[in-house]
Amino acid sequence: MPSFDLQSFLQQFLYDPKNPLLFNNGFFVFFFTAFIILYHTFRNNFTLRRYIFCFFSLYFFYKASGSFVLFVILSAVVDYIISNAIYRVKNKTGKFLLLLASIFFNLGLLFYFKYTNFFIDFSNNLFGTHFNPLNILLPVGISFYTFENLSYTIDIYRGQFEPAKKFSDYLLFLSFFPKLVMGPIVRAHDFVPQINRPFVITDNDFTKGFYLIVSGMFKKLILSDYLTLNYVDYIFDDPARYTGLENLFAVYGYAVVIYCDFSGYSDVALGIAKWLGFTIPVNFLSPYQSKNITEFWRRWHISLSSWLKDYLYIPLGGNRKGTIATYIFALIFFTGVFFTCTLLFHLPHMWAAIITAAVLLLFVLPALIKKDKAGVPAGLNLLTTMLLGGFWHGASWNFIIWGSLHGIALAFHKVWILLTGKALATISNKPLYNFLAAVITFHFVCFCWIFFKASSFDSAAAMIHQIVYDFSPGVWKAFYGNYQPVLLILLIAFILHLIKDDLADKLIARLNKVPLGAYVAVFFLFVLLYGAFKSAEPVLPIYLKF
Amino acid sequence: MNSNRRVVTFTVTSFILYAAFSLAASVYHFKWPVFNRINLIADVFAKDSTQLAITDSAAVIDEPAVVIEKKTAKDFTVYHLPHFINSFNTDTSTSSLTRFMQKLEDLKKGKKRKVRIGYFGDSMIESDLLTQTFRKLLQQEFSGSGVGFLPISSPTAKLRITATDNYSAGWQEENFKTSSRNNRLFLSGYLFKGNNDWVEMRDRCIRDSSASIEKYLLHGYTDVPITVNVNGKNIPVPAKVNFGKLLLEENKNPYLKLTVTDNRLPVYGISFETGSGIIVDNFSFRGISGVEFGTIDTSFLSSVAKENNYDLIILQYGVNVLFKPNDRNFNWYARMLMPVVKKLKTCFNQTDFLIVSTADRAFRYDGAYQSAVGIDSLIKVQATIAYETGSAFYNQYQTMGGHNSIVRWAEKQPSLANKDYVHPNWRGADTLAHYFFNALMRDYNKYALTSK
Repeated sequence: MPSFDLQSFLQQFLYDPKNPLLFNNGFFVFFFTAFIILYHTFRNNFTLRRYIFCFFSLYFFYKASGSFVLFVILSAVVDYIISNAIYRVKNKTGKFLLLLASIFFNLGLLFYFKYTNFFIDFSNNLFGTHFNPLNILLPVGISFYTFENLSYTIDIYRGQFEPAKKFSDYLLFLSFFPKLVMGPIVRAHDFVPQINRPFVITDNDFTKGFYLIVSGMFKKLILSDYLTLNYVDYIFDDPARYTGLENLFAVYGYAVVIYCDFSGYSDVALGIAKWLGFTIPVNFLSPYQSKNITEFWRRWHISLSSWLKDYLYIPLGGNRKGTIATYIFALIFFTGVFFTCTLLFHLPHMWAAIITAAVLLLFVLPALIKKDKAGVPAGLNLLTTMLLGGFWHGASWNFIIWGSLHGIALAFHKVWILLTGKALATISNKPLYNFLAAVITFHFVCFCWIFFKASSFDSAAAMIHQIVYDFSPGVWKAFYGNYQPVLLILLIAFILHLIKDDLADKLIARLNKVPLGAYVAVFFLFVLLYGAFKSAEPVLPIYLKF
Repeated sequence: MNSNRRVVTFTVTSFILYAAFSLAASVYHFKWPVFNRINLIADVFAKDSTQLAITDSAAVIDEPAVVIEKKTAKDFTVYHLPHFINSFNTDTSTSSLTRFMQKLEDLKKGKKRKVRIGYFGDSMIESDLLTQTFRKLLQQEFSGSGVGFLPISSPTAKLRITATDNYSAGWQEENFKTSSRNNRLFLSGYLFKGNNDWVEMRDRCIRDSSASIEKYLLHGYTDVPITVNVNGKNIPVPAKVNFGKLLLEENKNPYLKLTVTDNRLPVYGISFETGSGIIVDNFSFRGISGVEFGTIDTSFLSSVAKENNYDLIILQYGVNVLFKPNDRNFNWYARMLMPVVKKLKTCFNQTDFLIVSTADRAFRYDGAYQSAVGIDSLIKVQATIAYETGSAFYNQYQTMGGHNSIVRWAEKQPSLANKDYVHPNWRGADTLAHYFFNALMRDYNKYALTSK
């Protein structure tokens, strides 16, 4: 008989770098139960309830990332003080200087942790300096809460929002545990007013929350994790070893993985928030159903795109005008395109210049067609937004390439609409046209994912090379034989993705009166399914080509 | 209506059921792996000693099929030692590859001669991984230039950085997998036939641009003389030879374009080498275990030994027999590979042989990657083969760090191995090559000391 081990019992309460807390840890079950009992017990004492919530959120963060929790607290303190000062100071210059201080502090932290080594490397390569890379670990969630801090102080500066009255209000907004690690990016003016409200949820909220939590976990823990471990990771790790067919399926697989991982996490966050009486705006709307790239960005990581629109695109000039920043970034971008052509693709200067001019033309065309000068800076502002948005995802050239590909595609789509809008008006609502448009959009997005996922540009290039030059359709039979379970999961994921968005809502409305026992049963079925997947025989790579 | 009670009731009920069942499963040892993976409280209990034993692979090594004979002045157990090329001698101060080391010493003393090494392996040395560093280090130390043998094409020809290779689409290919009965495949496991087909090759590892490079065609038997075209010149290939090595050109140009118009000529590949110094031929074939050489004709192998002799043959296989997570018995492998090594040794009777063990490979056991449970038995089997055939042995598994090293390599930043937990990447292969070169140099130094 196994004995109770006090030491390992106590150890469970400390941060373990090998096993950080996530929604799928056994520890989370204990954590959440304890939290919900306390939260419900003290539901009518708003102050105590808030403190409990803050404590659990910060503890969650500690269990997920150790001492980095101090940065959340530090940035909450600093931004709380600065934002109150912005609100109180009456003269414009004072407000502006305080805002600058906040931006400097928040972006400074983010830059230090996320981008220092990137720029060290950049300087060493370009200027021949010899800085040693620093051993910096990226604090979990910093990209998300930095943006939340910024939106808060900027909103107050703009006079759109009164600062939170109590520090604990602000701390809870920032550290709210369901969304702390992977978003969505929540805005203070949406969230703070919900903190001190009676704990009321409807039947529909309960059902919807349950649906979001279980379906989110299903996407993240079953679909995404299975594909990652049993296929996607090892192909992306060394694409050159595998045929083009395998590589293509790895790209499709990764499209599923990133969507299920990210949106699954968001859904769980939304679901838990629902159960606690909070509504967080939805973050993903079946993005692969998009019929063009503009629509894709309205359905993908919505909280990020809307943040970028409000706090980057519009300050840059939006669709009305250009600012100095617009033209500086545009200059950097087009220089970048030119040098990418010469240094990376080894094209002659002539060709590099032609390609750069062609891309530039893409941004000038809408203005020429519409005879409206504002079209040029509007396109460039969007491009800058996408570039910086790409860079936000990670400190590497691949993310910049990813962002600029999307920026160029958005410009291309704009030109396409202007050129073909009238000509295609009769067929653009036909199902076949829409289907083709969705397939093309999906494949473009997939192409960009190669850069997003690959560890380096060379590795992305190797993958594209294999798909284009070494496709080897002949290996299909052996491929199918070995990877059947992987292909099945992939198929399930795509079918689920194609279900119309409102179907779930209709279903939920019917399930409100289902007895609680049924929910418990579904939950345990899910837990067992998770166990089955965790103990499943791994799918191992084979060599298909000789 | 406020249904916040539903949330609490649901959470508390589920929790009590889940915890109660987990507790019962821990106390009464339910044999239900699906549930054991998600047991809520398993971590809080001390692990049973019986469970631990399963993951301890060293405890259960099967005895190899071949009984290890007691030989005088030999000690089998030294195969465990890392960073050490050994021929199981009890006296560890003498070299294990004397004949080969003497040839290296000749080069060191300035004597003009070729010292040719054949490095045989599976996907671990594909696209010249490991061998490219090993070749470079040896050529720096003992002179020599050139990439050595290149097949007309290979699955990873485009990724090889030591040589570039372009070829027309029409080459017909036979290899160990597609034509396993063909007894005239070359040591590379490949044979090519061209019908108005061409190949362009460029040796990218010539360090000295003034070096004169010999470019050879390696070919098989034809009934009639056939003419090939090399950089625009026609060259006749002699008929009725078992195996031919034909000098096509000798100049400073590291480039060659070969056109073959007649598909009766079996082409094996091209060799780029200099008149004196080290030549390292990379013979990689993904997915094989070494036993495939058994099908190659003995008289053909003897002809290869005569025309293109090797001073050292290195055999690095094993990872492909380790494809099932729970295999622990590899006696069948010993029974199959032993006669093959003996046959190679008979045909290449002037050659020293060195068996390099497999590197570490991991599988997922219980959700976490760990070294294959059978890896120790496999390495013991490989050492036995070396011991019984009189070959030297090098334990690459222990050298790279032993148990779970591939897991550490894959998770290191920057990583040294791929996430398939099988293949070291180019950084890892570079590390392995340095380790191996250093071990070889230690053996050389022993030789150099005693020969003085």
